[in-house]
Amino acid sequence: MSTSILRVLFSHELKSLYRNRVLVTLCSIILVVLLASLWIGGSLLRKQQRTIGQIGEHHRVLADSLNQRLTRIAAHGGTYPGFIWDDPTFAYNTARNEGPQYAVKQPFALQVLATGQGDVQPFYYKVYINKKQHLVHESEIDNSLLQFVGTFDFSFVVVYLLPLLIIVFTYNILSAEKEQGTWVLLKTSNQSIARLMLYRVAIRYALFLAFFWLVVGPVLTLLVGPGFLGTGNWWWLVGFVSLYFAFWFGLAFVVNSFSFSSNINAMTLIFTWLLLGLLVPNLLHIGLSRAYPIPSRISMSTAERNAINAYFEKDGQELTKDVFSSPRTQIRQASIVTPGMVYGYGVIVYKSQEIKDAAAQVAERKLYDQIERQQQAIRRWQLISPALLMQEVLAALAGTHWHQFNQFSLDVDEFRREQQRFFYPKMASEATYHNFDLQDAAAIPRFRPRTYAVYEWLRVGQSLLLYAGVVGGLLLLGYRNLLLAAR
Amino acid sequence: MLRLIIQKELREIGRTGKMGWLLTGVAVLVALALYNGYAYYTDHSALLRESQRVTYEQFISQGDKNPHLGAHFGFYAYKPTADLALVDNGIEDYTGTSFYLEPHQRGVVKFREVSDATALRSFGFLNISYFAQFILPLFIFLLSHNVFAKEWENGTIKMVLSARVMARQLFAGKLLACWLLVLAVVAVLSLVPLVLLLARAEAGSLGRVLPAYGCYVLGLLAYALLLTIIGVATSLLTRNSSLALVALTGFWLLGVFLVPRLAGELARRVQPAITSVAFDDETFHDKQYGVGKQGTKDQRRDALADSVMAKYGVRRLEDLPVFFIPITIEFFEESDGRVMDRAYGAIEHNEARQNRLVLASALLSPFLAFRDFSMHLTATDMNTHHDFTQRAEAHRRRIGVIVDDFYQKNTVAGNDFWRTVPQFAYAAPGLGWRLGNAAPAIGILLLWLLGALGLMTLAYRRMRV
Repeated sequence: MSTSILRVLFSHELKSLYRNRVLVTLCSIILVVLLASLWIGGSLLRKQQRTIGQIGEHHRVLADSLNQRLTRIAAHGGTYPGFIWDDPTFAYNTARNEGPQYAVKQPFALQVLATGQGDVQPFYYKVYINKKQHLVHESEIDNSLLQFVGTFDFSFVVVYLLPLLIIVFTYNILSAEKEQGTWVLLKTSNQSIARLMLYRVAIRYALFLAFFWLVVGPVLTLLVGPGFLGTGNWWWLVGFVSLYFAFWFGLAFVVNSFSFSSNINAMTLIFTWLLLGLLVPNLLHIGLSRAYPIPSRISMSTAERNAINAYFEKDGQELTKDVFSSPRTQIRQASIVTPGMVYGYGVIVYKSQEIKDAAAQVAERKLYDQIERQQQAIRRWQLISPALLMQEVLAALAGTHWHQFNQFSLDVDEFRREQQRFFYPKMASEATYHNFDLQDAAAIPRFRPRTYAVYEWLRVGQSLLLYAGVVGGLLLLGYRNLLLAAR
Repeated sequence: MLRLIIQKELREIGRTGKMGWLLTGVAVLVALALYNGYAYYTDHSALLRESQRVTYEQFISQGDKNPHLGAHFGFYAYKPTADLALVDNGIEDYTGTSFYLEPHQRGVVKFREVSDATALRSFGFLNISYFAQFILPLFIFLLSHNVFAKEWENGTIKMVLSARVMARQLFAGKLLACWLLVLAVVAVLSLVPLVLLLARAEAGSLGRVLPAYGCYVLGLLAYALLLTIIGVATSLLTRNSSLALVALTGFWLLGVFLVPRLAGELARRVQPAITSVAFDDETFHDKQYGVGKQGTKDQRRDALADSVMAKYGVRRLEDLPVFFIPITIEFFEESDGRVMDRAYGAIEHNEARQNRLVLASALLSPFLAFRDFSMHLTATDMNTHHDFTQRAEAHRRRIGVIVDDFYQKNTVAGNDFWRTVPQFAYAAPGLGWRLGNAAPAIGILLLWLLGALGLMTLAYRRMRV
């Protein structure tokens, strides 16, 4: 095939696409949709950054307030003028009031592209010594209905919408020739029809890809700055997205090569899209939920409560009696809160928490093991649905995959233990009860925020190569069919 | 004549290979949807029923404790699985079902299943309602997109229109042929769950379940009818099966995916939610420093002490005939409760406005209107969720009053006392309430039905060669 034929084909494709009003309209819609998704992703990132700013301010205000109050108490000979439950010289009070710190998952620039688990997993927690990862609403406050509806992000546009545009772009690439009567002319030309068709698909793919990345690259740079271009995440993402589109072009090429009517081609491609994009993941969901059922968190709370009840049957009873009936704590009746009562509650809370943490550990391990098993199964099966593979890959490369949120959650849990190690000894000290001072306030542990964007579990190279093989196979099959059809 | 046309159309559809595949696919998916919905319903309802029993059992057998300490042990109020959750589980996995009942803190619903779900959740949960909302429309469009277009493509339209058959009969015949097939699928979709519901029904629950399910089926029929009309009318208007298919699929894609998600994002922008940090800060401030001229917490506590001592004619708290700490707890339970009610009310108000905006977008998508209708009828919607949280919160406060009254005179509570605290039980409101909440969605569905009839008239008038 000479270069001049390629040039002729290229200019023919450009003209025919430009003159097809439906396609021009669809391309304009997709451009708007793409820009909207990027803008929405960018605004979510900015909202997160603003919230992190609020958290920083919150920490600063609380730290100032604690320091001021401790300084004032020291200046008044250790006497706190307000209510005893607010007196920060009790370690237990500070652990409840000003002590809890926010732990933050630093945003990653590419999260603009995929919300992943970000709509249901919090990117920050308030860490208390006596609560697991905690927020008022268990996660960031959001409308459950909107979460159910799903986010409109770049990954949604790529995974669902663009394949359909590709179908509209390519479903009749060969059948139209037959329906318009030009097929016979093509057959009598001295060019290979199979190669001609392959080149036409390749040209459309190149045009589509150029249009796509020329929009995404600059817009993303404008939204988050050029820093992302230096990350491996971005270049893997470019590779996967380009290959995903190639898969749909390849599939259309194969379907066309069977020489059905345009209508059958369209139906076949739409059905394949439905199958690969919705039905297969859904069936996989059913299968994996049965194979690896994820236990409810209710079982964790039941285990905790059973352990607490068991503890209070004996040891806890002793402890409570010791705290509430001891002459040291001076709890005579339930009208005046004495320093001993504050101390006593602190002791009971931390003892109970130790029991609860130990009891919940088993149930929690079971829960996370099952989630991990499901995740591993998804990795094994994701190749049967390009849509699922893309969703997984995009989330992982954008730093919003379950793995990354889980790693953040594990870090937060470790931080909670660090806080417990800091506060528990002070809460258990009954020398004066008032033992928390300015030095302690300065030493309250702080969470070290970081981004979570590594994807080593993903084996990206292997998946990419495998899918490149699938695309190559599709093209080969289509090419072979067309060679046979041209005879 | 009409019967002949219907018979001819049905025979033609039956003889095409695609219909066999399509119906097989539909049958497999319906079976899976039923299995999935049924498994969800049985698993969840059993777990929640048992958990409600266990959590209360743990509470009433906690042994001797300081009453306030025992109240902090508390118990959970679980939202029972909706009777019709096997048809539609709505937003249950997103809202959570567990509400902790303990002093001082207004409960929030926890343990959302979606927090522990994998990425597969975003592909949806295949049950009857998912099938009706996502797959049934595609089936209808695949069935009807070429019902008229093929006559133009095969060149038979001239022959047909020049025969004795009237245009009205031709249109009605083709529409009814499609509708009969759709009706068969809808019948399977409605009758099998009905059998399962009857088999699973507990004593006395049928009176509650059947009317709601009957209304659901009526809505499903109206929804399927309007989609069939749209499919047939589009086929006639385009006169080209490929174009009709692309147009109908585009409409489906816009309505099922694009419009709801864009509307959701728009709702988030127009009515932004408060962040958890700001919520924490604001409620803490209001509780600590009071609202308006309430005064700080310390000032309010001092005033309370003065008034209680005055009431009992004593000068020291130690001389009171009742304990002062539970009185304080009860006092702040009320005043902090007002702050939290206001704060949560603002969130709910904001969410209601967001939801209204999303529902308004159903004017562009009948699929969305049907989903809203379905969730309301099956009591798996936001309104039912809020109703549950309100009742659970009322129960929490009732427990607070019982415990604090006891605590005013006793410093130790045993199992005899814990057993006087009532168990929590919840049942979703009845059909009238559900239909009231679904009224906007029903209105929009009726508008769509009118629009489809308008489209049908327009297409019919253009039925010329």
